[in-house]
Amino acid sequence: MATEQPTHGRTTGRWIAGVILGGAAVATIVPLVWMIMIAFQSPRAIIAPDWEFDFSLDNFAEIFDTDAVFGTQVVNSLVLVLAATALTLVISAFASYSLSQLHWSRRTVLVVLTLAGLLQVIPPMTLVPGLYVTLLNYDLVGTLGGLILLNTVFNLPFAVIMTKFYFDTIPGELRESASIDGAGELRVFRAVMLPLAAPGIAAVAIFTAIQVWNEFLFGLVFTAGGREAPITVGIAALIQPQEIKFGAMAAVGVVTAVPIVLLAVVANRQIVAGLTRGAVKG
Amino acid sequence: MSTRLEIAPRIAPSGTTSPAARRPFPWFKYLAVAPLAVVFGGLVAYPVGLLVWMAFGRVRLVAGEFRWESVGLDNFARMLDDETFLISLKNSAVFITATVVLTLVLGIVLALATDGLVRGRQIAQNVVIWPAIVAPVVISVVWLLILSPQIGLLNRVLVSLGADPQAWLGDNLGAMASIIVVDVWHWTPIVFLFVYTALRGIDPSVLEAASVDGAGYLRKVRHVVLPLLAPAIAGAAAIRLIMGVKAFDEMYLLTFGGPGTATTVITIYLRSVFFDAFEYGYGAALSITVVGLVLGVLILSFVVRSLIRRTTRGY
Repeated sequence: MATEQPTHGRTTGRWIAGVILGGAAVATIVPLVWMIMIAFQSPRAIIAPDWEFDFSLDNFAEIFDTDAVFGTQVVNSLVLVLAATALTLVISAFASYSLSQLHWSRRTVLVVLTLAGLLQVIPPMTLVPGLYVTLLNYDLVGTLGGLILLNTVFNLPFAVIMTKFYFDTIPGELRESASIDGAGELRVFRAVMLPLAAPGIAAVAIFTAIQVWNEFLFGLVFTAGGREAPITVGIAALIQPQEIKFGAMAAVGVVTAVPIVLLAVVANRQIVAGLTRGAVKG
Repeated sequence: MSTRLEIAPRIAPSGTTSPAARRPFPWFKYLAVAPLAVVFGGLVAYPVGLLVWMAFGRVRLVAGEFRWESVGLDNFARMLDDETFLISLKNSAVFITATVVLTLVLGIVLALATDGLVRGRQIAQNVVIWPAIVAPVVISVVWLLILSPQIGLLNRVLVSLGADPQAWLGDNLGAMASIIVVDVWHWTPIVFLFVYTALRGIDPSVLEAASVDGAGYLRKVRHVVLPLLAPAIAGAAAIRLIMGVKAFDEMYLLTFGGPGTATTVITIYLRSVFFDAFEYGYGAALSITVVGLVLGVLILSFVVRSLIRRTTRGY
């Protein structure tokens, strides 16, 4: 939408747009920078009433102390992200390929997509009572395995819907001609279809990884919060009403946020696709 | 295995069997969806079934095992007298209305402003989405460091300017306003992305025509751009509504539903019924009611939307 205004109107418009976006940028960046500054403040300067910056790495030293659990929790979160993302991708790629290309009836596809959409709509908290008993029955409460499964299940609807739309753009003749050449279904899928859907799958992968890394609710209610908990739950443990450890809290916040912001800079396009496309069409 | 199945029809004797019978059973088609079916069956259908079953009973955990005794509809009847539940519904309604409206307005304004830029669109788009991808837990930390009465940025600024420090999260109204601001800061980027993507998709010639007609910028936005963006805005509104119902992390960490019940939204209340009061049956009944309400609102808004569309079609 290029502005087609008389010259003076156009410059004023640009000024206003610039001011609005400048304000938004400041409002976005200042809170994040403040957290980073607190993380690198000495504990004394954090509580000092005046404006003072006293650079120190004490807060990071505290959270990665040998008997602190954060190191373990960061590893837990990494394992969780890798396992849940991999599972989500494998399950959704196979299922959405089948649904998109292998001649399911329209009604079946519609039912599956509706159910997937429904799971997106339902607040996970409402399913927690049922999930809790289910995990107890499977003996998975308090385990990383349980969290991997739950994160997979709740990221699958989006992954299936989004991947299916990518497979839908591939003409069906491609599969037929590959089959006639003698390639088996699995080979057609792996060698022909998967590469064609790669951009979509990459977007799903990055988006799912972020969701899993950020996940808090399941970690909170299905672990005891110690060495088997993800990092998000570790941060929550620092926010105790009696004594908030501001420095340590900010340091963990930085450790948790920085990888994601870096990812946003590197993989901006995939993230934008993840945040908009699947949801719009779904 | 699948390779052999694919070749099978060619070596099958032709003419003797019907085409349908010659086609091999499509193993791959079914096997490919099997994992999805298993996972959904075990971790969605089964828990939902348990949820419904629990809602109609009194459930106690005795020696690691669940004991269930039927209470009929008691759990559902109890809701009507449950003041905290009604308060949490009201709080959720306030929170959702405020955050949906504010994120929509800000997101649309930001999208229009970004579109007006000549340079730096990519950078603007990059920076603006940061809040949406950082963990809600970290967002809570960020805002705790701003709103904290002792060390927070906001009170420091106020004091520096000679004003009195405020309690923010410690005050009923302040706490609700705070979590609304935090949510708006967090999720405006989503609306921005939706609207901005739609905006980039508008055919420039439509807008040029409007300009040639001499329409001013605001009139053009009002009469040409916004109607074209309506589907994207409606989509963003629906998603923000659902996100509002799901919202949990920030309230849990910033206010824990307090002070008192001032910010006890529905998810916060559900957690406490289940994990603090151990009322499994009642918690399940509440859950089902909430899901019903969400679906009801969504269906209603779809119906209203299609009605509006039908009545305005002649216009």
